[in-house]
Amino acid sequence: MPPFARMTVAVAAVLAVAGCATTNIRSYMERGSDVGSYRTYAWGPPAVQTTGDPRLDNNQFFQDRVQAAVELQLAARGFERNITAPDLLVRYYASVEQQVNADGADRPYVSCDDCRPFVFDAGTIVVDLIDARTKRLVWRGWEEGSIDGAIANQSWMEKRIDQAVARIIEQLPRRIGRVS
Amino acid sequence: MTRLITVTIAAVTAMWLAGCATMTIGSHVERGLNVSQYRTYDWGLPDALPVSDPRLDRDPFFQDHLRGAVEKAMATRGFAWSTDQPPDLLLHFHANITERIDVDRLEARYGYCVTEGCSVPTVRYEAGTLVLDVLDARTNRLLWRGWAQDTVKGMLNNQDTMARQIDEAVARMFAEFPKPL
Repeated sequence: MPPFARMTVAVAAVLAVAGCATTNIRSYMERGSDVGSYRTYAWGPPAVQTTGDPRLDNNQFFQDRVQAAVELQLAARGFERNITAPDLLVRYYASVEQQVNADGADRPYVSCDDCRPFVFDAGTIVVDLIDARTKRLVWRGWEEGSIDGAIANQSWMEKRIDQAVARIIEQLPRRIGRVS
Repeated sequence: MTRLITVTIAAVTAMWLAGCATMTIGSHVERGLNVSQYRTYDWGLPDALPVSDPRLDRDPFFQDHLRGAVEKAMATRGFAWSTDQPPDLLLHFHANITERIDVDRLEARYGYCVTEGCSVPTVRYEAGTLVLDVLDARTNRLLWRGWAQDTVKGMLNNQDTMARQIDEAVARMFAEFPKPL
């Protein structure tokens, strides 16, 4: 790659990182479900599916890191891993798709000399907690944000996974019995 | 002067466009991996995921040339291809073609929005991703994954271009393969 192209890629990466301020963290909870009544978990059968990015498909480094991060965060919330008789089954999904950041180029009636629209990779991690007995989804949390350049850099990818998973599990309701 | 600027801008945008066609290489590796404990390898069975794009799947030239290039690179690094004994390492690859988009810099540079909302001009291109996995044959653990990404334009129907791109991809991927400690 010529030095100039390298520089523009670096600039694009910086822009993409700036764009990642639009990280979305959300969660759903099954109505009437009480996460506080669950104590133990185990990993559910992994979903064999493509992520949308061949670099992540069946990538054990990625999978191990997500699992380790989820285990760490669940442990911090007092959940115990129990393979034989778990209350909850945990499952996660990851997907990557390209998105366009218009950087103002789509604003109506505006000349756009300084706009720098760019394309970036948006990644989503979804964590599901399933009632092990009824197999119903109890809680789903996810984070979506720019991961541009993160897959190419293993340490950065690991950091992004750790951050994302921490923020996802952070939304899990606190145990009711514990606070009072 | 204005003309010079215009030419410069055109050149810059052309480089931008060309930029998305440049091959990018990357890899993931098992932390603390000591490759010197591995001596032999063999090609492994494909895993559960779709192996590749049908256009590459049904192309014996692609398969043969890729395997040849990888075997050569492995030999250069001192690994022996073991077919009769159980190998230390298993290799497999995935070759995908996905449609990707990029901002059309030539259009976007002069673009401005005079209506109630505009979309960003984009170009679509087909990007090929070649993923090569090296696994511990005993534990079936992934030790190293290398990949190369590039546009497949002009490659699918031209064997010379395809051979050149495969050779570059494999050579540059293996440049990231961990050296013996």
